[in-house]
Amino acid sequence: MEKKGIGQHISQQFNAELEDIRNRVLTMGGLVEQQIADAMTAIVEADDRMGDIVISNDYKVNAMEVALDEECNRVLARRQPTAGDLRLVVAVIKTITDLERIGDEAERIARMGQHAAESEEGRVHPVQIQHLGDQVRQMVHNALDAFARMDTELAVQVWREDLKIDQEYESIMRQLITFMMEDPRSIPRVLDIMWAARSLERIGDRARNICEYVIYLVKGKDVRHTSLEHMEAQARMDHTP
Amino acid sequence: MNAREEIMNDRSKPTHAIDPDILAQASLTRNLDEEDICLKVEDLDLYYGTKQALKKVNMRIPRQRVTAFIGPSGCGKSTLLRCFNRMNDLVDGVRIEGKMLLDDQDIYAKSVNVADLRRRIGMVFQKPNPFPKTIYENVAYGLRLQGVRSRRVLDEVVENALRGAALWDEVKDRMYDNALGLSGGQQQRLVIARAIAIEPEVLLLDEPASALDPISTLKIEELIYELKSRYTIVIVTHNMQQAARVSDYTAFMYMGDLIELGDTNTIFTNPSEKMTEDYITGRYG
Amino acid sequence: MRVWFKSGLPWIWLNAAAVSASLIMVAGLLGLIAMRGLGHFWPTDIAELDYRQDDGQVIKLIGEIRDYEDVPRERLVSAGINVPEGIEIVRRYQIKSGNRDVSGLDFRWLLGPDIVERRFPPDLVVFERREWGNFYGYLKEVRENGTTVASGPQAMAALEERLQRALAIADEIRAIERGAIGSINYKLERLRLDQRHLELEGKADAQSLAKIAEQRVDLQAQYQSHQAKLAALYKDIQRDSVTVEIADGRVVELPMAKLVSVLEPNAMGVGTKLKTYATNVWKFVSEDPREANTEGGIFPAIFGTVMMVMLMSVLVTPFGVIAALYMREYATQGPITRIIRIAVNNLAGVPSIVYGVFGLGFFVYFLGGNIDRLFFPEAQPAPTFGTPGLLWSSITLALLTLPVVIVATEEGLSRIPKAIREGSLALGATKAETLWRTVLPMASPAMMTGLILAVARAAGEVAPLMLVGVVKLAPTLPLDGNAPYLHLDRKFMPLGFHIYDVGFQSPNVEAARPLVYATALLLVLVIVALNMAAISIRNHLREKFRALDN
Repeated sequence: MEKKGIGQHISQQFNAELEDIRNRVLTMGGLVEQQIADAMTAIVEADDRMGDIVISNDYKVNAMEVALDEECNRVLARRQPTAGDLRLVVAVIKTITDLERIGDEAERIARMGQHAAESEEGRVHPVQIQHLGDQVRQMVHNALDAFARMDTELAVQVWREDLKIDQEYESIMRQLITFMMEDPRSIPRVLDIMWAARSLERIGDRARNICEYVIYLVKGKDVRHTSLEHMEAQARMDHTP
Repeated sequence: MNAREEIMNDRSKPTHAIDPDILAQASLTRNLDEEDICLKVEDLDLYYGTKQALKKVNMRIPRQRVTAFIGPSGCGKSTLLRCFNRMNDLVDGVRIEGKMLLDDQDIYAKSVNVADLRRRIGMVFQKPNPFPKTIYENVAYGLRLQGVRSRRVLDEVVENALRGAALWDEVKDRMYDNALGLSGGQQQRLVIARAIAIEPEVLLLDEPASALDPISTLKIEELIYELKSRYTIVIVTHNMQQAARVSDYTAFMYMGDLIELGDTNTIFTNPSEKMTEDYITGRYG
Repeated sequence: MRVWFKSGLPWIWLNAAAVSASLIMVAGLLGLIAMRGLGHFWPTDIAELDYRQDDGQVIKLIGEIRDYEDVPRERLVSAGINVPEGIEIVRRYQIKSGNRDVSGLDFRWLLGPDIVERRFPPDLVVFERREWGNFYGYLKEVRENGTTVASGPQAMAALEERLQRALAIADEIRAIERGAIGSINYKLERLRLDQRHLELEGKADAQSLAKIAEQRVDLQAQYQSHQAKLAALYKDIQRDSVTVEIADGRVVELPMAKLVSVLEPNAMGVGTKLKTYATNVWKFVSEDPREANTEGGIFPAIFGTVMMVMLMSVLVTPFGVIAALYMREYATQGPITRIIRIAVNNLAGVPSIVYGVFGLGFFVYFLGGNIDRLFFPEAQPAPTFGTPGLLWSSITLALLTLPVVIVATEEGLSRIPKAIREGSLALGATKAETLWRTVLPMASPAMMTGLILAVARAAGEVAPLMLVGVVKLAPTLPLDGNAPYLHLDRKFMPLGFHIYDVGFQSPNVEAARPLVYATALLLVLVIVALNMAAISIRNHLREKFRALDN
């Protein structure tokens, strides 16, 4: 899909403002992706230094959220956007909130990584969580891609992806519980992993939210809190504008 | 699998999922099919000489709701509005085909008395046009036309109409001053009072606030909101924000075609026609 | 210089110059008329002159010095007048010496160098008379039935007292002649017409004839009683007379009945003169003319003009307004309305005499003649409406000014915003109601403007009126106490024509010249007054409907 949501306004200034907002969302998304990747490195490799980087970079994410929020408010106040433009701004406001939360989760994972690095017996069972992390990161990436391209089909795919993430998370949980039952001494470490897994699962949920916003943005239909079938129907519905 | 696992696995149906029908009901969206229809337009064509100004327009206007017509200049919205009280009869070379019904009665039937029709369908124009008479006489004009002479009746109606138009407090001490001494916003409200003094069923507003400052505009809009409970209101406006603020339904017209008519909330967040979207978002070129 | 031209200043100067020139011309015109006209009423001092005639003999002359001019000597010499050597420019004085019945000359030109002496004796008296103009001389005696009752210094007081009595009797006589006897004559004429009417209809039976005869006898009896009273009054008024010594030393007896007023201008102070001036002006405005319009007042002319203009306004306003309404509001705007509009505009440019010809041919002869044939057969062959008169004059002038009213009204109607009409229509008014209740009141200032223009044009119009309505001297006003009070068939005297008549048709042009100016000034004043009235009405209306302007 082309960038039809933005261009072609009579007001070139308005075009530029919306384009700017969208680009900054994508920049923020890129940063958040990077944070997730770094956090995963931190926890998988118990890399203390990498953890520091993630934690210290979180302020950038926060600052971007604040700046974007302000920009959106400005557009609302001065341009009184309607229809597609209004949905874009609303979707952006919501998206950046979720992106910021994802950033927070990444920071939490990074802290878990540091925690793991401090403990004597690092590097246990990184494989499963590594896999979950890759999946979640891909999901965030795809969600942002769907946002960038206004691709509802991709958004639905990502949304489905979240089901897998949930299943993955369930299996990691069961596995970790098994570990803890086998070796009670490993409980502190396993708990860290568990927290990290939980954060990853949350990130997945938030990526799914972003997909819902994409559908709202493109199709004008609010698909939150509805069934998958309903959402898919809405996402594929023919929508002319 | 136990119940918990079942729920966990089947995320396609979240526990907190809401029935879309309930959702639709809970929202503010109005549905034209559920409204009491006051005015109906069926396949209306209008020609100025050989130029076609309205093309097969079909629409329904619900009772005691505000319906706004938006669209670029020359799209036919004012023309359509003026069809409702047959103001176009005054223009030379106008030809109208199709039907226009007020309570299922054809406005353009031969048996219809135009003056009576205009009594039932009042109109307020773009520029305030009070008569160069006193405030009192302006409001009493319509009644005097109907032959009302009783001072008591006139006094009462004038007061009620001015109260209805939210002007009473401002002019009660100078009822016998020339209406032209009022400010633009007051004049426009006076004209509205004049229109509602004869108790019409429908009130047509042709860009009623376009000549007013923002505060006067807001007063008029507030007034429209209050009048909605008693009259069916049709408003033509250039100002999309105004249409968004005051109307329940919005019709978008373009080049004599009715492109879209629907709930204002929907039109302004998620219109179903691309032309509507382009127009209201400012992409119309 | 080029910079100065580029600055645009020359244009401003040019425009200002044009405006000033116009102003000066208007002011000059009014000033000239006012000066010449208003001076007439001032009680000028009377000079007693010793004048050396051509044969060297010195005579005494009494009169008002009215004018003077400087004439080159050659002109006088070539005219055969004996002028002393050494004087290049000779001043000539115009003297109004009065006493036309005695000396036969009213005005004389005297050469300045030949005037030996000028005196202004305070006991010189001016007698204003009903006939033969002014009389100048020294009052000698006042007589009653031929016997002297007062002479010398007491004579003036006695004269004034007796003059009041004579004037009172004269008023009484006039009242009886004009009022009572005029009314009886009118009724007798009606009776004659009634009888003729009955005869023409073949209904003249003995009974109705007897009734008419009875009324006639009754009126005759009234007439006789009035005649008797008149005879007594005439006898009464003849009682007194005065004797006056004139310039050449003769003593002339003047009957008191012929005097209008007596003045001693040389003895008057400025205050008294001002009072006399005001009285003269008032007399001029309020009295009937005497002596073939050259003396007395011009009240009938003022009345006739105002009457005619008012009648014309009454006729032209509804007609013009309705025509304009139709053309602007009802008629389909197309080539035909455009042609009509052009035709109406051109009508405004048609010379007024053409209207006079049309009025005479169509209104007077055709319409009037037919009206007479149909409704007034009894008066035949004397015409009633088939002759120029007030009605036809008014209608002709109405026709003349119709285009002005139509154009102005149309202009006014077109300036009323469409929004106002729509506002009214949207409230359920029909087109007629809208026109009547909103459009017409709002267009009324424009209509008044049209009427003002019409009045200004009509009041000054002379040419068409000469054909359709005026007389030199109207015996009766078009409005009087005899039913039906307003006599549309009567002739009248409009001011414009009066000026022409006094100025060019009068037997005594010199005497009438100031009157021409005075009448012209009055005409201007009447038009100004009529215009002011209309303008004040218009301004009032404008104030009321000032929506048009914003």
